[in-house]
Amino acid sequence: MELLPKTRVELRLRVHLGPHVVEELTTPAQQTTIPAPVLLAFAPLHRMALGAAAGVVYGGMMFVLTEILVLKGGYPLGPNLALFGEFFYGYSVSFTGGFVGLAWGFGVGFMLGWGFAVVHNLVIWVWLVIIRSQAEMEQYGDFLDHM
Amino acid sequence: MERETLQEERQLQNAVVRLNAKLLGIVTGLLLGIGLFLATVVLVLKGGPDPGVHLGLLSQFFPGYKVTFLGSFIGFGYAFFTGYLIGIVLGAVYNKVARI
Repeated sequence: MELLPKTRVELRLRVHLGPHVVEELTTPAQQTTIPAPVLLAFAPLHRMALGAAAGVVYGGMMFVLTEILVLKGGYPLGPNLALFGEFFYGYSVSFTGGFVGLAWGFGVGFMLGWGFAVVHNLVIWVWLVIIRSQAEMEQYGDFLDHM
Repeated sequence: MERETLQEERQLQNAVVRLNAKLLGIVTGLLLGIGLFLATVVLVLKGGPDPGVHLGLLSQFFPGYKVTFLGSFIGFGYAFFTGYLIGIVLGAVYNKVARI
């Protein structure tokens, strides 16, 4: 009887699981890794969502304020609000100007909201990096003492 | 250890903050309300022949509001309501888009 030399055998298995089974297998493991309060504290803001929300609010405000002044009437019509026309090309305190203000307001609000989320997420990321590096320093700081 | 860290990072990347629209509304309302209240009171206390000419323009949108001591309370009510609406809309739209 001949002895075969010891070789390392790699056994690969391919198992096909339905999406339902995969979800059941992965979800509990993912849930238990990070506690929910920690996840809530470090979870990033959704950039597009905050941009859209801020855009809707700002655009809506521009529209409503303009149309209120138009409905109230008088002369001169909204001289102070009309100063937005200096920055928002085409804007005036008129019925159509309300829609121009809506578009401009949505654009500016979107940029503000999106920018806020980007900066917020960036600060969280830097914060996480600092916390992680501090934890690693504490964990491996006395590594040489054990040699 | 490294695999756990990677998994945690992936979880954090996939997680998204959800906003409590009602809470956001109350916070925004209080901020705006207190802001307008303080701004009005400061102008009233400073006095002068015609206090708060520019702040008084808010009466175009807030009927009954004036730069007076009583007006500061009326302004608080209006600003709180406006801020509450802003917060509710902001939270609702954010949560809806974030869910997509």
